[in-house]
Amino acid sequence: MLFRIDPTAPEPLFAQMAGQVRTAAIRGELSPGQRLPAARDLAESLDVNLHTVLRAYQDLRDEGLIELRRGRGAVVTARAAQDLEPLREAVAQVAAQARSAGISPDTTLALVKEALR
Amino acid sequence: MTVAASRTRVPVPHRRSTTAITLGIPAAMVVLVVAVALSWRPELPDPIAIHWGPGGEADRFGPFGPHVIAHAVIVTLFAAGMWAVGWFWGREALTRRFAAGAAVWFAGVLSGVLLGNLQIQRGLSDATEVGTAGGPLAFAFGTATVAALLAAWAVPGDARHPTSEPLPEGAPRLELGSGEHATWVQEVGQAGLIVVIGGILTFAVVMGLLTRQWAFVAGITAALSILLAGIFRWTVTVDHSGLTARSALRRPRVRVPLDEVVVAEVVHVDPIREFGGWGLRTGRGGRTGVVVRKGDSIQVQRTGGRVLVVTVDDAPTGAALLNTLAARARRT
Repeated sequence: MLFRIDPTAPEPLFAQMAGQVRTAAIRGELSPGQRLPAARDLAESLDVNLHTVLRAYQDLRDEGLIELRRGRGAVVTARAAQDLEPLREAVAQVAAQARSAGISPDTTLALVKEALR
Repeated sequence: MTVAASRTRVPVPHRRSTTAITLGIPAAMVVLVVAVALSWRPELPDPIAIHWGPGGEADRFGPFGPHVIAHAVIVTLFAAGMWAVGWFWGREALTRRFAAGAAVWFAGVLSGVLLGNLQIQRGLSDATEVGTAGGPLAFAFGTATVAALLAAWAVPGDARHPTSEPLPEGAPRLELGSGEHATWVQEVGQAGLIVVIGGILTFAVVMGLLTRQWAFVAGITAALSILLAGIFRWTVTVDHSGLTARSALRRPRVRVPLDEVVVAEVVHVDPIREFGGWGLRTGRGGRTGVVVRKGDSIQVQRTGGRVLVVTVDDAPTGAALLNTLAARARRT
């Protein structure tokens, strides 16, 4: 998978990385048992501190998206790879409805947040 | 979506060492083996034993002259073939090393087997009295393997070929902010690996039952399994150091630095037709490849007329990122 981080962006680097794995999971790009790169290799590749990658991986583990195993690195869980196609369709529909009704993105987000409570 | 890149016609490097090692060493072995065989001729029976059955007993016999001539011709032809590979396609050290190692290994095994088999027949008046040929065979395999590794090691490596030429306009790119760091990592493996290793194990058991040389069979099986596991699972990374394909055991490793990338593109690869098999290979025309499956692959045209192919999923993203990073490295 593609990892990209922007050191000039306000969002912390570990959050950017974790966000990309989350997005990949929601898009259905991860399969259960798939291995993410070893933290050391990824840190070197992205030219960031090892602890940045470890922090991102720990957050993802706490959310149940990956398992961290000694010697095997980070492994995508079945939960991360679950089929979220209906959710993606629903989100696309919300976006389309909001656009056609002329509701601003902020108002739409507020509505979604309200519904999620 | 092949991009026509201006490929500079650089001659294949290190042709002298290719000739010396890949052709010279096997030729020297042939001369030496024929000389030694001739010096033993008076002590040998006529006809000599030329083949041993699975039970370790000689089962075919023939005259000395044609047997030794056939040996010399086969070794020379094979070495000449490998030399041609190194001479015409040897743009990368990988190819030249394969060719040199194969030529020396083949010459070594055949020479060792021939001399070993003649040695145990010296002083016999009737070749049917000869004992088992198992010892010479094991010895020939061992020494030939060491000699082949030495030959491959002696082959000169690739010189660095950095370029500052801009990438072609039509090359696939990826949208990337100027301060953004990006890495693309993808694992690629052979699903049939379990079947292959199962096949090797079955073969090993059958061989063991037939020859009763269990230690020998176990050694070869272990070596083959490790080799296969190492060659059929790869991690491919594109980042600020270029494109790296690393086997599951971290070695062997293939790397193209950013400043040696002429252009990366996506091509369809058929391993059997274009590379004659799977693994880390040299294919037709001298392309090198990490080929573990059929289908879309990243093809990197490198400086010095070299081409590397890596079969990997999501190849368009990998190729686009490699072009983008290479172009960015050239601007700074």
